[in-house]
Amino acid sequence: MPENHTSETGEEKVVRTVCASHCGGTCQMKVHVKDGKITRIESDDESENAHRMCFRGRAYRQRVYAPDRLLHPVKRIGPRGSREFTRISWDEALDTIADKLKMVKETYGNAAILHFCSMCDPHVLHHVNSFHRLLCLFGGYTAPWGTISNEGDNFASAMTTGGRPTTHEGGSQAQAYLNAKLIIMWSFNPVTTLQGTTVSRSLIQAKEAGAKFYSVDPRYTDSAAAFDAKWIPIRPCTDAAVFLAMANVIIKENLHDQEYIDAYTFGYDSYKDHVLGSDDGIEKTPEWAAEISGIPADNIADLARAYATTEGAYLATNLAAGRTAFGEQYHRAALSIQAITGNIPIPKGGAGGGASQFQELIRMSRLGTPERPKNPVEADMPLRWNKLPYRGPSVNSSARVNVNLFSDALLKGKAGGYAADYKFLWLSNTNYLNQLGEANKAVEAFNEAEFVLVTEQFMTATAQYADIVLPVCTFLERNDLRTGFGSGAIEFLGKAIEPLGESKSQLDICSELALKLGITDYNDKTDEEWLRHIHALWSEKVDMPDYDTLLARGGMYFPPVDYSASEPAKTPEPEEKERKLFPTPSGKIELFSQLVDGMNHPKIPPVPTYIETWESLNDPLAEKYPLQLTTPHFKRRAHSQFDNLPWLQELQTQLVSINPVDAEPRNIKEGDMVKVFNDSGKMLIPANITERIMPGVVAVPQGAWFDLDENGVDRGGCSNTLTRNVTSPAGAFSPNTALVQIEKGKG
Amino acid sequence: MQYGFYFDQNRCTGCFTCIVACHDWHDVPAGPASYVRLKTTEKGKYPDLFMSHLFMTCHHCQSPACASVCPADAITKRDEDGIVTVDREACLGKDACGECLDACSYGAPQFGAEKDCKMQKCSLCIDRWAEGLKPACVQGCPTWALDAGPMDELQAKYGEVKEADGFTYLPELMPSIIFKPKRDAGDLAVQKVRIKPDPDTTG
Repeated sequence: MPENHTSETGEEKVVRTVCASHCGGTCQMKVHVKDGKITRIESDDESENAHRMCFRGRAYRQRVYAPDRLLHPVKRIGPRGSREFTRISWDEALDTIADKLKMVKETYGNAAILHFCSMCDPHVLHHVNSFHRLLCLFGGYTAPWGTISNEGDNFASAMTTGGRPTTHEGGSQAQAYLNAKLIIMWSFNPVTTLQGTTVSRSLIQAKEAGAKFYSVDPRYTDSAAAFDAKWIPIRPCTDAAVFLAMANVIIKENLHDQEYIDAYTFGYDSYKDHVLGSDDGIEKTPEWAAEISGIPADNIADLARAYATTEGAYLATNLAAGRTAFGEQYHRAALSIQAITGNIPIPKGGAGGGASQFQELIRMSRLGTPERPKNPVEADMPLRWNKLPYRGPSVNSSARVNVNLFSDALLKGKAGGYAADYKFLWLSNTNYLNQLGEANKAVEAFNEAEFVLVTEQFMTATAQYADIVLPVCTFLERNDLRTGFGSGAIEFLGKAIEPLGESKSQLDICSELALKLGITDYNDKTDEEWLRHIHALWSEKVDMPDYDTLLARGGMYFPPVDYSASEPAKTPEPEEKERKLFPTPSGKIELFSQLVDGMNHPKIPPVPTYIETWESLNDPLAEKYPLQLTTPHFKRRAHSQFDNLPWLQELQTQLVSINPVDAEPRNIKEGDMVKVFNDSGKMLIPANITERIMPGVVAVPQGAWFDLDENGVDRGGCSNTLTRNVTSPAGAFSPNTALVQIEKGKG
Repeated sequence: MQYGFYFDQNRCTGCFTCIVACHDWHDVPAGPASYVRLKTTEKGKYPDLFMSHLFMTCHHCQSPACASVCPADAITKRDEDGIVTVDREACLGKDACGECLDACSYGAPQFGAEKDCKMQKCSLCIDRWAEGLKPACVQGCPTWALDAGPMDELQAKYGEVKEADGFTYLPELMPSIIFKPKRDAGDLAVQKVRIKPDPDTTG
């Protein structure tokens, strides 16, 4: 299609940009604009390798023009959670916020300001750094550490290979699937999570080429169906046991790769001792794991043999099973299986050298962007006991609060072992109350805070508990740039339309607030000046088109997935064996982690271990709450984003899934309104009775907006009504460790 | 010349992009009218399950029953490409007539939520072909499960399979769609069939 074509009623332009939603994908968008209004949104479709957007991105026009979009600042006039707000001017809003910030700083100190910006609209100019820079210039604030999605994986990878985790979902991984012969999807459902669409396309191509698929998951996922996988149902929170049993089969049947183990791993003997039970007297046999996981022993042994003996086996261990009480053990156990079968690629050129162009891009991504000052609040604070080696002293600072524990930190402060008492809560681009453990506790915590500021596009469940909500424009209403995030893309993004109503970009909001706070050196450039400045610097590092050409294209991929190409062989060269290949203490893949050993934490053993979680079926609580809850992603949402769009709402209904075996004794019929409850909260939600979930397990998809009624019952179907505000020992969010009961409810 | 669709049921992941791409291109609001729907069939008993998706739209039949029954001659089968179109000015509307809805075995005629709503449906994106583009659903499909074009070309490329899981070919209508069907392992009992958007709850 011509880039600018004339339609019947006037000039229409097509703006190329990249969907910046919270899925993590980077799908190119072609936005049709006429008379300053978006008329249509299409995918990039320039070649056979084009990265076509999912239905959420295709519905983005409804998000921009949603009738419930917040288009002017509002302040609360009723009690928190009363939904009573009134419109105010930007001046009044910013004056109020500036006064509160100054008051909190003077009364309690800067550490009392707690801020978090999540990954909604995650570009570079209008993201975390906008807020970080402002608050640091104001004297500092308490920042979060850790991730909500994958802290278990972050920890496990850092301890095992020394590096960051491998994403199995990102577009950069799509190429790797094309020639796989065996793909084990372990809590991996890319058809639904839709972190872009390239992984699904690659997996389909692998299926067509004859790859065999397994899906190890408590649910028969859409991905299991799409790729004709053999479904192996597994009880939540028992994954590490199954990996240890697989290792048992692999080692005892001599299917491990001894040469690889000798060359590239450290601590194999300790690991083997644990697998064979010589350290604790319990051999981790398939029968042992079968009892724990519900997977028949033969299936565990067959899976182990298939994985160890198939050339081109890919174990895609995704993140949900790591969002559990001991999530890091799942990831450590998975990495260990990969290691003993020689399936962890050896970095070419060793640690720190020979970085891929993709890694180079990530390193480059801060070059030229607004300066990130040091946070004065972290200046004299020691590092945390569980610091990760690849994180800098700022992220590892004990001044920070685990991102999953804001509610707990707000309620307890110093008395609970946190570094400060927290009084001013500022949440940006995040439906925090909805998306973290124990929504009812978050309500209590928000009510305790002296001031809650939310910068948002909608009156989300979180915004409903704020004192002031500032309207943020969408990524289609501003200029920005972006790199990395799993796709290997570099993008310069021109805005398609002007900000709607009185909404403003994050950088503009912070620039104006800076002036109210008396900070005059916050921002000296327009967005376009920033983009041109950054482009000039990046052009010196990477071969890229000139600014105007790149902006017109919306970006480029480095490299694109090529659906006709093969993955190069990953066999290590012999001379690499002697070098320090992994940034761990031993320079090797640590099956026995020396860093973990040094932490001396009773619940983080140095070899991967199955630890029975709290709220397991053996917990006395199981008498009251006998069903295990999982909180999977939902196709029509990226976390809590998109929940309110009619085009998407009519395609999927928020339901609790339950097996007929569990529904029948409770006299629950399809579509019945049921009460799902435990000590954290109660919800009313319709039932989906399905063979697609393991007996004893129920699923409430995460991301639906919390909506408390007058009886304290959530009518919105928010899964975190039922989770707890705790983390794994290493700091992982643990919403998939929870027991619930279900009974017929009143609608 | 007859235009039509090809659908690879083995490539479809049930992602709904075809539906939203169509809604966005043709500016169809959420509600009872949806030119494209997706039918999902779940079969089997725990843990041996099977699931298929079926792309549902107007199949621009070679013998369109809707056109035959329309008392207002509002439905036309075009000579040049076999696309079945509707003249909404001429349509008598669902309340006064609705004959096409009863006649079509594939649920293709669509009616909006408004009073005296007139029939609307898939036009196989006539407007897009004019610009050298395939239909919005086809060009939006993230897994390349869909194609459209002259049926003889599609058949030369993809074969002539006329049925798929959840779809029955009706010789009296001669729908213009061919498939690469998904086959279940055996005689698995159908557990659930759902159509999205659900014509029973959005209508």
